[in-house]
This record gives sequence, C-alpha cells and structure tokens, in this order.
Amino acid sequence: MNAVPRTVPTAEATLLPWAPELTGAPAAAAPPPPPRSTPVLGALWLPLRLAWRQLRAERARLASAIAGVLFACVLVFMQLGFRSALFDSATALLSAMRADIFLMHPLTTVSFKPEMLPRIRASQAMALPEVQAAVPVYLAQATWRNPEDGTRRPVQLVGFDTESGVMDFPGLAPLIETLKRPDTMAFDRRSRPEFGPVPRLLAERGPFQVQVGNRQMEVAGLVEIGPSFGADGNVVMSELNFRRIMKERQASQVDLVAIKLRPGADRDAAVARLRALLPGDVMVMSQPQLVAHERNYWETATPIGFIFAFGSLMGLVVGMVIVYQILFSDIASHLREYATLKAIGYSNGFLRRAVLSAALILAVLGFLPGLALSTLLYDVVGKGTFLPLEMDASRALSVFAMIFTMCGIAGLLAMRKLRDANPADMF
Amino acid sequence: MATPPVALRGVTYAYGTGDLARPVLRDVDLSVAPGEVVLLTGPSGSGKTTLLTLIGALRALQQGSATVLGQELAGASERERTALRRRIGFIFQQHNLLGFLTARQNVAMALELDPATTERQRLARAGEMLAAVGLAEKCESRPDQLSGGQRQRVAVARALAGQPGLILADEPTAALDRQSGGDVVRLLRDLARRRGVPILMVTHDPRILDIADRIVAMEDGRILPANEANAVRAP
Repeated sequence: MNAVPRTVPTAEATLLPWAPELTGAPAAAAPPPPPRSTPVLGALWLPLRLAWRQLRAERARLASAIAGVLFACVLVFMQLGFRSALFDSATALLSAMRADIFLMHPLTTVSFKPEMLPRIRASQAMALPEVQAAVPVYLAQATWRNPEDGTRRPVQLVGFDTESGVMDFPGLAPLIETLKRPDTMAFDRRSRPEFGPVPRLLAERGPFQVQVGNRQMEVAGLVEIGPSFGADGNVVMSELNFRRIMKERQASQVDLVAIKLRPGADRDAAVARLRALLPGDVMVMSQPQLVAHERNYWETATPIGFIFAFGSLMGLVVGMVIVYQILFSDIASHLREYATLKAIGYSNGFLRRAVLSAALILAVLGFLPGLALSTLLYDVVGKGTFLPLEMDASRALSVFAMIFTMCGIAGLLAMRKLRDANPADMF
Repeated sequence: MATPPVALRGVTYAYGTGDLARPVLRDVDLSVAPGEVVLLTGPSGSGKTTLLTLIGALRALQQGSATVLGQELAGASERERTALRRRIGFIFQQHNLLGFLTARQNVAMALELDPATTERQRLARAGEMLAAVGLAEKCESRPDQLSGGQRQRVAVARALAGQPGLILADEPTAALDRQSGGDVVRLLRDLARRRGVPILMVTHDPRILDIADRIVAMEDGRILPANEANAVRAP
C-alpha cells in the first residue's frame, strides 16, 4: 500500500509559529509588512466595522433603531414639506406676476394688505432709458358670488393694463383682446372649489355672468395663479374694469407698479438706478426680491414658520431619544465586553468612535427608507391637499444633515455610558 | 534586560480616601522572572486581585514603585498605561468574548491594535492561535456556540495572540469544571512557556497549583513568607 504523503501531526507541528527556537526551524525573517491602510484610516474603519457587526448581531434592536430614525426622518420631511408648500402657495400671486421689477410702498408688509403709492411713480420710472414699460397694478378684495349656489366669498382682484404686456400671468396672453371689453375678467382656474365650478361652467356655457362686488361681470377666460393665504381665489381684469367694481378707489393711488425692462437690460443695475431716482415713498424690488419679501412676512410675522420649525425639532428630539436609548442599552449590555477591550489595550477613543459610528450607521440606514417613504407621502398628501409638495435634492440633503447631527448627538450622549466600562472591575 | 518583567517595591494601595480609606495592599514587594509561572493565592479580600489590576495597569498606582515590562507605573499617564496593556495578555474569570463576533474575529480583536498588520494577517494569526489551543474547527463559531472550556480557550488564544510580554490571569478556572479548567491552565502554561512569557495567575483553585513554578500566598494585603506559602501548597 502506497504511503500517502501527508503531514503527520507531530508535537512540533503544534508548536506556535513564533517559537522557532523550539521547532528548530530557521527563524522566520518577518519584516513588518508595509501597512496597506494608513493608521488613520484603520482608526476610523475598525471601530466602524465593530459597530456594524454589533448592530447587525441584534436584528430586533437594529430594526427598532432604524424605525426610530425613519420616523424622525419622515416627520421632518413632512414638516419641511408643508412649510415650504405653504410659503410657496402664500406667494403664488406674486410669483405669477411675471414682470422684471416692482415698486411697492415701503410700509407694505404683505400683498393682500397693501399701502398705496402715488401712480405718478410709474411715470417717473419711465425716465430710465432701460425701462420699456411701467404699469400701475391695483389690488383689492371683493365679494364673489358662487354662480351655482349663490354663496359669497371674498376674491382677490388684480387690475392692471392687460394690453401693456408687462405682467404676463400664465394663460393671460390669448385673453388680452377679450379683456378689453367692459365688465370682463379672467378667473384663476386654481382657485379653491368654493367659488363654484367655473372652468366647467365656462366649458359648458361659454362666457357667463358672475356677481363680483355688486356688479355683474363676465368670466371671459381662465388664468393660472393659485390660492394663497390671503386669497382663496383670484380674478384678473383690466384697470378700467377694476375701477368699475371698486368705484371708491382713486386712480391716483396704486398698490404696485410693475416694470418691464428693455431686452438685454441689466436688472440689478436698473433696480439700483431706480432706487437712486425715486423718492423714499417707494421700495424698488426685483421680482425674486418681492417674492422673498412676501415670504419673509409669512415666515417671521406669523407663527407658521415657528410651528413647522417646532414640529421638525420635535421629530428630531424624538428620533434622538430613540437612538440614544438604543445605543445606551447596547453599551449597557456590552459593558463587560467593552471593559475587556479597554483592558487589552483599546483606548477610550476607539470605543467612542465605535459608538459614534453606530450612531452614524443608524443615520444612514434610517434616512434612506425615510427618504423613499417621504417621497411617496409627498405624492399622496400633495394630491389630497392641493399643496405643492415636492422632494428636491437640497431638502433631502439638509434633512440628511439634520438626521446625521441628531444621531451624532445621541451617540455623544450615549458615549458617557462608556465611562462605566471600567477594566479594573473586570477581575 | 536586567530588570525582571514584573518588579514591585513597597506597593501600598487603599480604597476610599481620608478616614474611610481601607488599605488592601501594604508594602508589597514582588518580582516575576522571565518565563516564570507564579500563582497568587490567599483568602478573599487579601488583595490579590487588586495587585493584579495594578500590575495590569488597570488602576493607577498610589504608593510604591512598580516596573512592568520596563514601564514604570508610578505616575504613568492613562496613555502610557493603555500602551502597556497592549503588551499584556489578560485572561478573566469570565471569557468576556464579544458575543457578536466569531471566535476568530474575537482573537483578531487583540491584533487590530497594531496598525501595521493587515486584515488578512490578523485573521491568519488568529486562526493559528485557535489551532494552537485546539479549536481549529471552531474558528467561525460564535461564543454562544462553544462550551465554557472552549470559550476560555478562545480567551487564552486572544491573550496570547498579541505576543504579550506577560500574562495576567484572574481565576481562569473559576467558571469551569475540573477537567476543562485543568486543560485550560495547562494549555496556557505550555503555550506561555514555549515563548518564555511569564504568567501571574490569581487562583483559589487547589487543583491547579501544580502548574506553578512558585506560589505566592497573600493575607491581609501582605505577601506571606515563602515557607508559609509552601505550607499552603501541601495541604
């Protein structure tokens, strides 16, 4: 029988490889191999790996931690989404007024309560060569009578020279000729349904009469603006028709002046020159500045900004408490093991990095499903509430930063428990 | 080196401060020679464990002088003590293995402290160590899949993996039955001897006294003279 050559487990074979003096083998020249990873990388990667292995080992605990982060994440996303949607809708009217520059009275804080400025400023603005046109804009609220059931509701009137082409509401251009006729107006198709099914009636009967501010007006067409906090619905009409409804309004006092610049003119330079040109009873703003001004009112002068900031903060606090609890109990139940690691030479810093890594792993693992769920909820809730809820990258990034910070703070708090891991108590 | 791995002179230690201070070590002198296996015995409260934690740099020295592996512990900083602990192999009453890591990963944890090693080297060394303690087939088992004796053998492998200059063990057989307890300490002694690593072991267990080169008996915080210690050895 052929002896199969095999390694016989002799006493020598069981000797440890670093005992060459006993095995008789030549001392293995073991130069320290070049470190493949730098110590700094290892100092971050090794605790991260330890944290992940520990989290992974307890599935139920991991799942509840992820659920906590996910909950916080969805809450913050929804709060920020509602906040931004409300601000967007609050400024819907001004955003739809597509002109280059606006003049407004400096005391006007919000567009539905305007302070009036002299109409003459519109003419004065024309002194600037780059100004192509400047039209006065009249804003007022009047009672709209629902054409179906007769209920009354205040509607926002916007009156200006529709022929000038200075302010271009979406959908206005084809109606310009029609709106020249007396007692005609264009209705905002995105107005709330309480004003009656105007688009449907228009499609069925053609132009029809509606009572606005004690005057019979003809709905001649539709524009697209959107309801805002100050106004549930909007109608757009010529300056003349506006004055027919609001008889008491003086033509010399206007609410806004919209300015269109010549093609190629520098808007910011024009704003600066208008500021220098016009007296102190007008505020000169580009359209984005006007929208920001309006938004600032809703953010600072109303509790809305605070409410949503508070809601977001609560979400983060709840998430932080959950993550803290999970990390804390994780440390508490591994105190002996952590103390052992300290005893065999691991530094406090390593264990702190491991706890922080666990927190940050939870941040990532909770954020990703949170982002997916929130995107889905935006879609569902947006359709139900008519609020413009949309997920965008900058919001996703800022929420991730918040969740990351939240988990980081929870990790820093939980770290204090590591002090209880005293290696001297191990014996 | 002329200095022995462990050299204590006049070590005194007390828990508590002021009037409540309760001395546990009084003027202890002890040295351990290279490769020596020293057993520390004595009744509960005699200060053996405190002595072990001081030598292991787990506590700060209060009075006296202690040189361990060339490091003076009197006045040593936390950083210096942590660095020293990396050169000492610890074996505890409980195995204290990380439950979420396999045996091999647990042993490799002792090697991750050396940034110059690669993951492959660490796992290979951990595997060799487990083979040396007879657990080659259990490399990928988690601690809860191992018996008590096997876990303690993993702990021995972990203590030895980092090529320590000194092994400190605190009643390593306390949680084990006679057979596996004896196996573990003999394995530990054999492995340490081949490397010339000294062992300082606290034990109550009379069944393992025969592995010792020297037995040091303690009582009331003092080390008893050698003849009295030998009396303990021969019951």
